[in-house]
Amino acid sequence: MKKVLSLSFCLALASVFSILPACKKASQSGAAEDSLVVWHWMSDREDAFNNLAKKYGEQKGMKVRFELYAPSEAYMQKVRAAAQTNTLPEIYGVLGESRDFASFVNAGHVENLTPAMSENNNQWMNRFFQKALVNNQFPEGNSYNVPAGIYGVPLDVTNIQMLYNKDLFKQAGLDPERPPQTWDEFLKIGPALKKAGIPGFVSGWGELWMIDCLASNLAFNLMGEEKVLKTLKGEVPYTDPEWKRLFKLFEEFRDSGLPAAGLVTMVNKTAEQNFSSGRAAMAFNGSWCVNVYAGMNPNLNYGAFLPPAVSDKNPRVIWGGAGSSFVVNARAAQKDKAVAFLKWLSDKDQQVALAKETRNLPSTPDAIGEIPAVLGQFADDMELTTHPSRFPVSEASSVVETFNKGIQSILIGEKTAEQVSNEVQKVKEIEMKSAQK
Amino acid sequence: MDVARLKRVLSKSSRSTLVHGVLILVSISCVFPLVWMFVSALKTQETIFSNMSLIPASPHWENFALAWTKGKFGIFFFNSLFYTFCTVVGVLLISSLAAYASSRLPFPGRKILFMLLLATMMIPVPGAFIALYVLLVKLNLVNTRLGYILPQINGQLALGVFLLKTFFDKLPRELEDAARVDGCNKLQVYYHVALPLAKPAIAVLAIFTTLAVWNEYLLAMLVLSDRNLMPLQRGLMVFQGAHITQYPLLMAGMTISVIPIVVIYIIMQRHIISGITAGALKM
Repeated sequence: MKKVLSLSFCLALASVFSILPACKKASQSGAAEDSLVVWHWMSDREDAFNNLAKKYGEQKGMKVRFELYAPSEAYMQKVRAAAQTNTLPEIYGVLGESRDFASFVNAGHVENLTPAMSENNNQWMNRFFQKALVNNQFPEGNSYNVPAGIYGVPLDVTNIQMLYNKDLFKQAGLDPERPPQTWDEFLKIGPALKKAGIPGFVSGWGELWMIDCLASNLAFNLMGEEKVLKTLKGEVPYTDPEWKRLFKLFEEFRDSGLPAAGLVTMVNKTAEQNFSSGRAAMAFNGSWCVNVYAGMNPNLNYGAFLPPAVSDKNPRVIWGGAGSSFVVNARAAQKDKAVAFLKWLSDKDQQVALAKETRNLPSTPDAIGEIPAVLGQFADDMELTTHPSRFPVSEASSVVETFNKGIQSILIGEKTAEQVSNEVQKVKEIEMKSAQK
Repeated sequence: MDVARLKRVLSKSSRSTLVHGVLILVSISCVFPLVWMFVSALKTQETIFSNMSLIPASPHWENFALAWTKGKFGIFFFNSLFYTFCTVVGVLLISSLAAYASSRLPFPGRKILFMLLLATMMIPVPGAFIALYVLLVKLNLVNTRLGYILPQINGQLALGVFLLKTFFDKLPRELEDAARVDGCNKLQVYYHVALPLAKPAIAVLAIFTTLAVWNEYLLAMLVLSDRNLMPLQRGLMVFQGAHITQYPLLMAGMTISVIPIVVIYIIMQRHIISGITAGALKM
């Protein structure tokens, strides 16, 4: 025992002395003059980023080092800690809500990219899907007191749509090249699939936000954006006939036989497994699913389509926007070089390379022609996207929860559309009274 | 054999069967995740979701080599061994000295100091991340091996002092008195008498610390940025994306990372069991 302890002690001392010289190394943010450091959390893109960094080095003579910190929670801890000590790298990403982003901007950690974006008649700005830039900019008079401008560069975009398995459609006697366009067509698929013994529709509806997403899409189409926003403001009640009709849509959906078993409590990962392995004919999922399905079943034959139209009075709208974005450290000595690198990264060649390798939607429309077909279907509808974070008014979380849980209750036959409509309105009124106080 | 004795034997035998049955079930529930991990490491990304069999028809042994090379486990593995060794030695050395002093040397504020030390166990490490990072930046220890090892030693000290002090408190003082009569000073008594007797508790502390350091990841993310300094857990992250995880490679990587822990446990098993049964974990 004594020998072991003595040996361990000596080895430990030797180890400490051997690592002490390393303490003199500079901290991570101090990149050399001819190099840039980029922090990111996207572990599945590490190889793609490293390839692009190598290419940039060869083309421009500037060394770029991508440093991966994942999962995203750990990444943000690191970013916050580095912000406190002014040791952020030249390029990084801010995860979280608008207020988190705003706090970084207000603390002087994020460079305003508007001048760079506006150069040469907005040349750089015009490359992007405009909806992708919205997530990275603060408008005039925003509630966070951030000077108006563009602060981030979207690396990719995302949106959420319906998906269908072409082989299973064919098996059920349906046209594999014509997915349902209207709500009635959508409902008619239920009996056809049931007859063929094919489970219908899966999605991560156990994660409430995905129910909210489809319901919001249908509401915008049914009653229009203005009326939806008026409801959020409390000017239109949830007991309005059009809201009741919206809840009724979920009753019809339930009765059509489309929902697969366990839909209401299903997490998205399970839904993805079911759809990719042919255990469901349809799904509601984000564009990231292209990468997921490719990993789970590379031979899956499927297509994407917009949520079916429930009305022809208003345009169809889907949730989407910027996927991941990079910002430039306003305090970095080499911020101009960082901007130059991000410009290069948003060039068509790099966007196509990223999209092909990571199967994410490129943030620039000019890359669409050269990406896989299913991604193209998602990308074509990018300009139809919206997101609650971009609404001028937001709904109280208790109302959203009652709304989503109400739809779950309808789907399992526990409540009627009428009941849910009344319950949501009741919670809304409580929230409004509380806000007035 | 009379009837009463037969009943006793049968009753004893059925009780034994019941106990063994329960123990077998518990063992299966403990071992099954490891078996599942190993079996999943032999499947492909496609079959892992469709083939639930525990014996894959065509095992993909190459997943282990792929995980090792793709996750760049070579350097990470060495780093983890190094960090674990340094931290375990540091924790055992400091906490055994502190625990012995706290148990045997009377000094003012001893109890309060001990309580304060225990209170640090209530602070989750991630809760102190930003303060720790600021401190490490000021000491110029960010992105260094020492900057990663020192906070880990610090993080394990409270548990170590608590475990060893409890053990030292129960040691008969007569043994130490005898050593003093033989001319030992305080440090010699600690080294020649108390420490050898505390072997079971030290083994328990060593395995707890090894487990904690081997599985540590968040602190490494915070403190280190040079890829060549990262521990083994960093290699596993390569297989986990935001939306998709390469399960077979992840499971192969996890199997590789679990091997050293299993080996250490097997080597120290005797001491750990005696440590636990001898009261190292009792208040």
